[in-house]
Amino acid sequence: MTMGASKPRITNDIRALRFHMNQMTQEELAHLIGVTRQTVNAIEGGKYSPSLEVAFAIARVFNKPLESVFQYITPE
Amino acid sequence: MNASFEEKSVWIQLGAMLLALGGYLFVAGRMLAAGVLEAAPYFAVFMVSAVLMVAILIAGHIVAAITGPTDPADERDRQIGWRAESRSSWLLGAGAFLAITGLALGYAPGWIANLLMVSMFASEILKYLLQLWHYRRGV
Repeated sequence: MTMGASKPRITNDIRALRFHMNQMTQEELAHLIGVTRQTVNAIEGGKYSPSLEVAFAIARVFNKPLESVFQYITPE
Repeated sequence: MNASFEEKSVWIQLGAMLLALGGYLFVAGRMLAAGVLEAAPYFAVFMVSAVLMVAILIAGHIVAAITGPTDPADERDRQIGWRAESRSSWLLGAGAFLAITGLALGYAPGWIANLLMVSMFASEILKYLLQLWHYRRGV
């Protein structure tokens, strides 16, 4: 990594996926994947990158492949 | 407060530490300034602060449990805790090193004991502040 290069970011579409799944709440998703509502909120807001286990659990809830839920953005 | 039970717990621990141990350090500072150099007199003061800290912790956690959900710590809570611990523990190590150096140089036990208390206090306060920073700003 060169000096001053931006860190890669991980974005997600969890909020939209929740909305399209009968407007699932953060609380409901948190209960399904075994974390707190605040952690789901942090994941959606890009303030926390979940472990692989939690990421796969989220993808399984929405019956989507992992790459459809999380996106790995590399800097230009 | 839109915080998890674990974050509330950190706030409670920070408050308890500031009030109880901060109070002890204030009294101990005045005792040191007055020339009390033996460690034994500080023990009684420390016991009072320890009881006060336990009381604040219990009361605070009861209030937190009554006023909101009590979800157990999840991976984010653990990661925040580990990161804060790893970035604050050096303070305790530095204090221990200074205390050993002070012992070798012949400083009075009162100074040595309170130096260790200050380093523990500073290390814990830094840990709690880092945890709260990560809860708000992300990790």
